[in-house]
Amino acid sequence: MSDKKNSTRREFLKSSSAAAGVALAGGLSITRSAHAQGSGELKAVLIGCGGRGSGAAGNFLKNPNTKIVAVADAFEDKAKGAAGRYKLSPEAAFWGFDGYRKAISVDCDMCIIATPPGFRPIHHKAAIEAGKHVFMEKPCCTDAPGFNMLMETNKLADEKGLKVGVGLQRRHQASYTQGIKEIRDGKYGDIMFTRVYWNGGGVWVRGGGATPMENQMRNWYYFNWLCGDNICEQHVHNLDIGNWVMDDHPVEANAMGGREVRKGKMEFGQIFDHHFVEYTYADGRKMYSQCRHIRGCWSSVSEAAHGTKGSGGVSSRGRGANPYDQEHTDLIAAIKNNEKYNEGWYGATSSMTAVLGRMASYSGQVVKWDDALEKGPAEMIYENHDQLTMESTPPVVPGEDGTYEDSVPVPGVYRAY
Amino acid sequence: MKDPKKRSRREFLKGSSATVAGAALAGGLTVTRSAHAAGSDVIKVALIGAGGRGTGAVAQQMKADKNVKLIAIADAFENRALGSLNNLKKQFPDQVDVPTDHVFFGLNAYKDAVATDCSLVTMATPPGFRPMQYAAAIEAGKHVFMEKPCCVDAPGFKQLMAASTMADEKNLLVGVGLQRRHQPNYMDTVKRIHDGAIGDVMFTRVYWNGGGIWNRGRSEDMTEMQYQVHNWYHFCWLSGDNIGEQHVHNLDIGNWVKDDHPVEANGMGGCTARYLGGNKGTGQIFDHHFVEFTYADGARMYSQCRHMRGCQGNVSEAAHGTKGTSNCSGRIEGENEWRFDGRGVSGHQQEQTDLVAALRAGKRYNEGFYGATSSFTAVLGRVANYSGKVVKWDDLVAKGTSQMPDDLAWNAPAPVQKNAEGDYPIPVPGQFNPF
Repeated sequence: MSDKKNSTRREFLKSSSAAAGVALAGGLSITRSAHAQGSGELKAVLIGCGGRGSGAAGNFLKNPNTKIVAVADAFEDKAKGAAGRYKLSPEAAFWGFDGYRKAISVDCDMCIIATPPGFRPIHHKAAIEAGKHVFMEKPCCTDAPGFNMLMETNKLADEKGLKVGVGLQRRHQASYTQGIKEIRDGKYGDIMFTRVYWNGGGVWVRGGGATPMENQMRNWYYFNWLCGDNICEQHVHNLDIGNWVMDDHPVEANAMGGREVRKGKMEFGQIFDHHFVEYTYADGRKMYSQCRHIRGCWSSVSEAAHGTKGSGGVSSRGRGANPYDQEHTDLIAAIKNNEKYNEGWYGATSSMTAVLGRMASYSGQVVKWDDALEKGPAEMIYENHDQLTMESTPPVVPGEDGTYEDSVPVPGVYRAY
Repeated sequence: MKDPKKRSRREFLKGSSATVAGAALAGGLTVTRSAHAAGSDVIKVALIGAGGRGTGAVAQQMKADKNVKLIAIADAFENRALGSLNNLKKQFPDQVDVPTDHVFFGLNAYKDAVATDCSLVTMATPPGFRPMQYAAAIEAGKHVFMEKPCCVDAPGFKQLMAASTMADEKNLLVGVGLQRRHQPNYMDTVKRIHDGAIGDVMFTRVYWNGGGIWNRGRSEDMTEMQYQVHNWYHFCWLSGDNIGEQHVHNLDIGNWVKDDHPVEANGMGGCTARYLGGNKGTGQIFDHHFVEFTYADGARMYSQCRHMRGCQGNVSEAAHGTKGTSNCSGRIEGENEWRFDGRGVSGHQQEQTDLVAALRAGKRYNEGFYGATSSFTAVLGRVANYSGKVVKWDDLVAKGTSQMPDDLAWNAPAPVQKNAEGDYPIPVPGQFNPF
């Protein structure tokens, strides 16, 4: 591309992984843990013992010579339950907001991070600083400061020769890798716009909790600082495909969203139930993104691309392993073979794409990528993070009626930054 | 085009006028009855709907031709009819000749206005009334200028199409207040797009994002029906929601560029801020709509309309083709870069000038077909948003329902009633049935 800015954005996207696939020259921290070059056992700690964390650990454990050696969760019962499942001693279970740090400090090679998304940048940073490889679930951040932290950490990971896998499993799914190849080969001509959807009926709702913090931590999907709204938490999968097709990230977003059915109940927290975003790339191309959590509406989880010579789905024919297994197999192979492997770049960028769309949807303003990065406010509590307890005051608190309606963004009133 | 369905959609769009557009009519025109065709005789106008736009439209007709004279005026409300009349008399003392017995008010006042010896009926009542009033005027053998949008539901759309067919049969002329169609910057640009300047059009983007509109209060002596007609923008059966009432302008450009109408719509919308605080319980329409319209060839039209203060404003259109892009109103980028350098005109004036010229020349002129089709495009998008479903054009035409009451009287029950919380029902996606 002759567009200088575009090439900068692409470097930003891929950063040092441009040399991907090349074995590293220098000494790696992984040699410490005696499994490099294929011989030893790969020891992982699981941080975040919910459904997806257990799922990811299961996918990881399907590979030979792998072991979970410690677990951490914000909640004691969850941590102890997971320790029991992996037949760990009670000392290998950690809980509380600082439990992740204790788990990372045990003798391990890798951290599987599947806590609520808001924690991701903090946990990723701690793991990389401690010299551990990382597999982290998507999305990877819920705000701009988190994105900036991720990018710094990715750089550090590259410097340290650490591998980073991200749970955007479509990147490891044969139908998608084949589909992207065909699009690159010109199946649809030059791509003019993409359409990406995650329209469904919604997700679980959890009640309970002795304090607002405990309630939010259990019902985390419904709070921005933890979840990033559903545009982030689920729809990031489809946004990532759009970015992959364009080989770029958007430079601005213009959107509409709101809450039509999530109203008047504490457990509905503060997130929207629909977002429809028009993303613009630097060269004027578009990505149209819809996500919805409303029952009884049209459902679609899909991606399509429209080009000068045709249009159709992004995924193509192609059969391969379960992508949730494959993403771990690929990461483990990179660790064993000491190949450069850092999915943290696109993981961060696609997550920030979701944050950008949310900022546009909440504010009703056209929000630019660069402005969002520079000025976007923190949703997560970054300061003195490890001192948080279930008695701490969360970033949003219930109003007098016991609901979070007062914390629901109103377009035109809400400021993106 | 090879697509036979598309051809039939296009004929549907244009109606029978496709074959004779621009040609002088062979037979006698109804206008000859009133002795003004092809000459300098008086064109007698009856105005139905004497609000700001109706008053403006008649003023522009009178500016277009000194022998256009207002002879009757009708409005649901007496004070509106009289206010508009006084206003027009001051501006056009020689062209307003409305005797007291030609001032009509009430919900059926349009019937009296149509029954006068006018030759042109100018209608600018709330859009929900349009199909019924248009049909009455055409049946009575009158030429029509009608404001946009032209309908708010499927029965209204079908009534419009039938009346437009009848207008052609009766050699009646029909103008529609989609004034961009009369602006040279749009006309020249769309012609170039049709001639291939940006290649095949893959998608369009159309916007009417603004801060919102008036919300009129209720006075104590009003019946519920009076209040709803008075505050008509806020009731779907009257306004068709803002996707119809204003955004139809932009949707019409998208359809014009594609020379077609969409076959389905998938959208998201809601009502977030419109009826908060002091506006609680004053209406039932959404404050944001974002629709993905799909044409038969797979091309898309992305449509946004919003009424929310403090958000990004934008009223515009854009087309993206395989060889370039255009703002549809004077700029083409890409292989065939071009800038419109002609004169700018007031579309509101030009649409009346063109209609009066066609009347004088006795030329066929029927904008009712695209007026109806673009209005129904808005209905399609609205129903997709209200329901959260993908809604097909053909299904909605066949099965769409109307809220227009059979009994139109101030004391009759209004079509929507407040719920226990004192709010008018606002559609809930997933629960609203599109048909």
